[in-house]
Amino acid sequence: MFDLLTDYTFQTVLLGTMMIGAVSGALGCFAYLRRQSLIGDVVSHSSLFGVMLFFLASYALTGEGSKSLVVLIPGAIAAGTAALLLTRTLVRRTRLKEDSGLGVMLALFFGAGIVLLRWVQRTDPAIPGRRGLQDYLFGMAAAMTQDDLWMIATLGGLAVLVMLLLWKELKLFTFDPVFSHSLGYRSTLLDTLLIMILVVGIVIGIQSVGVVLMIALLVTPASAARQWTRQLGTMVMLAALMGAVCGLIGSVASALYANVPTGPVIVLSATLIFVVSLLFAPRRGVVSRIGRRRKLIASQAVASSGRSAP
Amino acid sequence: MSLLLWTLAIALVTAMTTALCGAYLVVKKEALVSEGLSHAVLPGILLGFLWFQDRNSPFLILLAAGAGLLMVALVHLIKRTRLVDGDASLGIVFSALFSGGVILASQNLRNVHFHADSIIDGNLATAVLDRLQWGEVDLGPQAFWVMLLTLALVLTFIMMFYKELKLMVFDETLARSLGFRPGLVHMVWLGLVAITTVSAFQVAGSILVVALMIAPPAAAYLLTKDLFRMLVVSALIAIVSSVIGVYAGYHLDIEPTGPIALAAGLCFLSVALLAPGQGILSRRRTRQRQQAFVFNQLLLVQLVRGAQGTKAGSGYSPETLYRQVAWSRRQFEAALERCLEQKWILDQGTGYQISEQGERYLEKDLF
Repeated sequence: MFDLLTDYTFQTVLLGTMMIGAVSGALGCFAYLRRQSLIGDVVSHSSLFGVMLFFLASYALTGEGSKSLVVLIPGAIAAGTAALLLTRTLVRRTRLKEDSGLGVMLALFFGAGIVLLRWVQRTDPAIPGRRGLQDYLFGMAAAMTQDDLWMIATLGGLAVLVMLLLWKELKLFTFDPVFSHSLGYRSTLLDTLLIMILVVGIVIGIQSVGVVLMIALLVTPASAARQWTRQLGTMVMLAALMGAVCGLIGSVASALYANVPTGPVIVLSATLIFVVSLLFAPRRGVVSRIGRRRKLIASQAVASSGRSAP
Repeated sequence: MSLLLWTLAIALVTAMTTALCGAYLVVKKEALVSEGLSHAVLPGILLGFLWFQDRNSPFLILLAAGAGLLMVALVHLIKRTRLVDGDASLGIVFSALFSGGVILASQNLRNVHFHADSIIDGNLATAVLDRLQWGEVDLGPQAFWVMLLTLALVLTFIMMFYKELKLMVFDETLARSLGFRPGLVHMVWLGLVAITTVSAFQVAGSILVVALMIAPPAAAYLLTKDLFRMLVVSALIAIVSSVIGVYAGYHLDIEPTGPIALAAGLCFLSVALLAPGQGILSRRRTRQRQQAFVFNQLLLVQLVRGAQGTKAGSGYSPETLYRQVAWSRRQFEAALERCLEQKWILDQGTGYQISEQGERYLEKDLF
């Protein structure tokens, strides 16, 4: 255990997954409260298309495909944002509902991403640098480098900074978009900004848990935190804390036991926190609700028996 | 039959089955349940595989479909507490189940061939090689028959419960008051979706299941309002996408599932842009026409009202008119140009005046 703490690779992974957990936990609250939880899934899948495009672009420019996050993450952000903006257009301009719109983006962007990925893996002569590209799909927390860490810190910090600077506006827009519009805030602009910081939060998280499980990092801590509080500020901080703790558990577990993948452990620990919150949170929780109902029934029974007595 | 044709046949049957299943989900605004299902069945498939050691065992399919239904039930349970908003419960449950599956795969299946990539794009290409034998006779790929059976199941259900489905899709309250049980039919349908997901998962992987369950019905939804036509159109789009996808995959030498998904997405995109009535372009044209109509009318009304105040014959200078309507310069000039072109407004030299045609146009209604 103590060897672990001084291990350089472990420190990097630990710091990375904790930062990712905190950032996506915090930003996830906004997705959750706007009832757009599933955008996490669509953005993470769609980003593969951007990653592949930028990989191929770097190959065309330099002769070797780059797997550096500095190259791939802007591509992922571009594709993720494009998918969400296209969904918004579909929902506004046709009678399709948001869930179908998002689903179609999966077909379009993830389909295109997979086609490019498989073609790059197969094509002959081989494109230099193509090995390990598929790790993007399932996450590669253990392979995190110092550069990745800087990238995560910078982008995640930027997204959180935007969130803090626009706190009042985003809060109002999240809870009452119509009122915020009537006050003169520009809804489309705020919506686009929120989309962009969410995309950034999601894209940097794919590093640790992969495309499929990213949604859990966004939604599960937020849903858990929601059970404990009614304040947005507290909720965001709590979700960030929970996300960081899950990152910690995941990286420690996969470092201690061989064959245990980091991503799924992070997700399962988040699920555990969620279940505990759902059951035992004060006031809202299922257990306290049952307790309250019992007390109510008991008090009514007492009252009615008191009445029936002469 | 050549391998390519068999691949196409499997793809066609799979695409039609999933598209038919998805039509109901899209109309019920539950499209993303398919995304959840396609991931949640993973632990079921892995457990079944450990247990039965046969990919195509019907028990495995049932067990995995059970995992899918477990997801549906858990989501329902969380939703019923009303403590979690929106679709968050779906995301929480399916990611947890999928995590369980991935951990399972990394632990116990080291000796078993289960490739991570096949979770995503399936293995249509190798499924073709897995033949069903009847004595000495080769009946074609096993996967084809599994999918055909699923298709038959789905079609039978649709035919038997068409009336109920139709009623439920459009008016669930009415269906309940008429004595149907929407909840029950809904659950049975989700069970069918789960079975379809699992049997398609073997050949098609998770992307194709989701893509084909949502994209073709979503496109059909923009083309027609009739449930029967929607089912037919979804199936047709699914067929077109699989033909394009299989040949594209063949030429690129990759699993055809990715190209089929992409083709379905592109089919949807072209329908969304070009569909008559509901398409983005057509709606934009309608909006522009309506806008032009309103601006024309307002401009003419302004001319008539102005003429009542001033002495007859002198007309309006464009600047006065512009100031009075208080539109943007561009809107004003466009409206003025349209009206002059149609001779609704006459240029008197001294100013503008409404013409007789203009007065008649003013009486007209938009619809």
